[in-house]
Amino acid sequence: MLTAKDSVDSNRSTGAPALELNEIQATVLRQRPAPYCGTHVILRIDEVRAGRELLRLLTPHVDSAAGWREAANAWLAVGISYSGLEALGVPRDSLESFPEAFRVGMAARARQLGDEGVNDPKNWEPPFGTRDVHIGLSAFSDSEEKRRRILAMAREQYERLSGISVLLTQDFGLQPGDLNPLGYKDGIDQPPIEGGGDEPRPGQGPPIKAGEFILGYAGEAGVPLPMPQPDVLGRNGTYVGLRKYQSRVGAFNRFLHANGRTDDERELLAAKLVGRWRSGAPLTLAPDVDNPAIGQDPHRNNDFTYANDPRGRQVPLGSHIRRMNPRDTELARLTDVNLHRVIRRGTTYGPPYDPNALSEKDDEVPRGAYFLFISAKAMATIEFLQQEWINDGNFIGAGNERDPIVGLQEKDATFTIPKAPVRRRVHGIETFNVLRGGEYFFMPSLSALKWLSELS
Amino acid sequence: MATETHTAPRADQELVVEQKIQKLRELYADAPDLRRVALEKGLPNLKRELAAATGTQNAGRIGARQGKVSELTGIFPFAKGGAKRLRGLLQLLEGNFKLADAVGTVHDMRFVFLDNDTKLLFATAYDGDWDAYISDFATKIPDALDLLFCDAVGWPGIRSPKVKDWIVEHQISAEAWYVANPNLTVAETRKLARVGKAVEQFLDNIG
Repeated sequence: MLTAKDSVDSNRSTGAPALELNEIQATVLRQRPAPYCGTHVILRIDEVRAGRELLRLLTPHVDSAAGWREAANAWLAVGISYSGLEALGVPRDSLESFPEAFRVGMAARARQLGDEGVNDPKNWEPPFGTRDVHIGLSAFSDSEEKRRRILAMAREQYERLSGISVLLTQDFGLQPGDLNPLGYKDGIDQPPIEGGGDEPRPGQGPPIKAGEFILGYAGEAGVPLPMPQPDVLGRNGTYVGLRKYQSRVGAFNRFLHANGRTDDERELLAAKLVGRWRSGAPLTLAPDVDNPAIGQDPHRNNDFTYANDPRGRQVPLGSHIRRMNPRDTELARLTDVNLHRVIRRGTTYGPPYDPNALSEKDDEVPRGAYFLFISAKAMATIEFLQQEWINDGNFIGAGNERDPIVGLQEKDATFTIPKAPVRRRVHGIETFNVLRGGEYFFMPSLSALKWLSELS
Repeated sequence: MATETHTAPRADQELVVEQKIQKLRELYADAPDLRRVALEKGLPNLKRELAAATGTQNAGRIGARQGKVSELTGIFPFAKGGAKRLRGLLQLLEGNFKLADAVGTVHDMRFVFLDNDTKLLFATAYDGDWDAYISDFATKIPDALDLLFCDAVGWPGIRSPKVKDWIVEHQISAEAWYVANPNLTVAETRKLARVGKAVEQFLDNIG
């Protein structure tokens, strides 16, 4: 099965098993193109045979990670929820081999995820949180024209089957400068995956065992994570947590204006919240003024540690990037940072960030991001991140403070900016990104997609 | 984790307290005199506590929590010779648990040998949920944990995917759980100690 062409030579020297790249879906290992655009489609399977037929028709168009070196510029990704697997008639013992959190779905895990208040699943938009979400189909591309072409091809497959319903279609991307809904360059820091084939970028740190991200390989503890059965279904697959956020751009801008008198002050505050300037330049490398040249340069924009910044005077301990990847920060709890990393594919939708949007009406303009979090234990990792690194501050000694960008804020929330001689504590942090939906998908290998389409 | 406290209107609240007292009286109805008297005498104080909002939450899958502090209590049968080994190890440690310091969330631990050294009662107070960090323990301090628990019957090893279920199987939720400072984590306590010292130093310098 595995040919020399499909494996990555460097694995041989490290002794790590070569990844079966021709089996793994491209989206797992392939970065978002730049510029990027695409479409998410959510489908429901009304007839078991139509579901299997759809997978049979789509599978030839789902790219594998084997061609990652070629500038593939349009591809499909397919994820299947637990109720989707049920709708496909997957045998009971196989269904039961999936982890509990995946089986009950993201909405049912709201307590563990801290999705309460405005983020409570009862406030989600349809079809999220219902058992109707069966298949998540995503098209990625680097141009509008190619996006249209690949989507038309996919649509041709699902529209001709009477037993398939389209529940949601959402275009994303094509943002000026690929900025996220709050106006930042994003997606910079990705975990380095052993054998993933991607040239490690300066600052990524030593590679993490592939088994943390792809099923069937050894993880950081030296053993593979439990895998759904049979093997052909689980191996080379992974899980995706999808979370749809609505960005309250007006509230974010009002906060910046309330706490910064000039543009420069506001931009510095915005950079402190994230740990990077909007250009992507990290505060470690550009502490006082932005340096867009660093932000743009993939060889420099992630090349730093916190060795000289233990107290967070450059990158605040509670800032978004330091929470999501504390790197070498000394944490208050015994933590293996490598175990809690996740592959992130952010996809921004709606009108681009507008620094002059200040009204409450601007908070409800449909814009935000669909985040895909990919990991062989995505459910456990997302719950960990939500509980420990996003909606708590204990691990970095920040008390009750939460992630200022994606946290669910309580009343009178604050953000601490370490500074000499005394820190600055900013009040008025709100929930700037509100959760509007979420689902867990299993992202099967290409062989598993074939296996599913051939069930009888 | 955030929890909202709902305060019922005063009249409802009084009714609830009265109902609770009624239940208590029923519970103690056939108790010996001494206990009934104790209940009646203690009622004025009890009333205040009965009127307060619930203080206990769950700590993850099992165990009680108050604020940020959770309890884990478990009874673990010893494997053959296990009690002797563990007792020897604990005695040699002489109360030094540097690794627990490193974990950063452990308030206390106690190891009690029960029933003629056939079982271990292990009880600890810690911050947050333990199971979120079990994989961190498995890669960071696997040998220390295996050494402490390998004398229990059926210990699957800290790296085993079954270890969470195994612990939960042996865990007994505390019926009641009191914490003096439910919102002070180990990390916060250490920080307060540092801050306190710095303040004293500052006052020394200007005084």
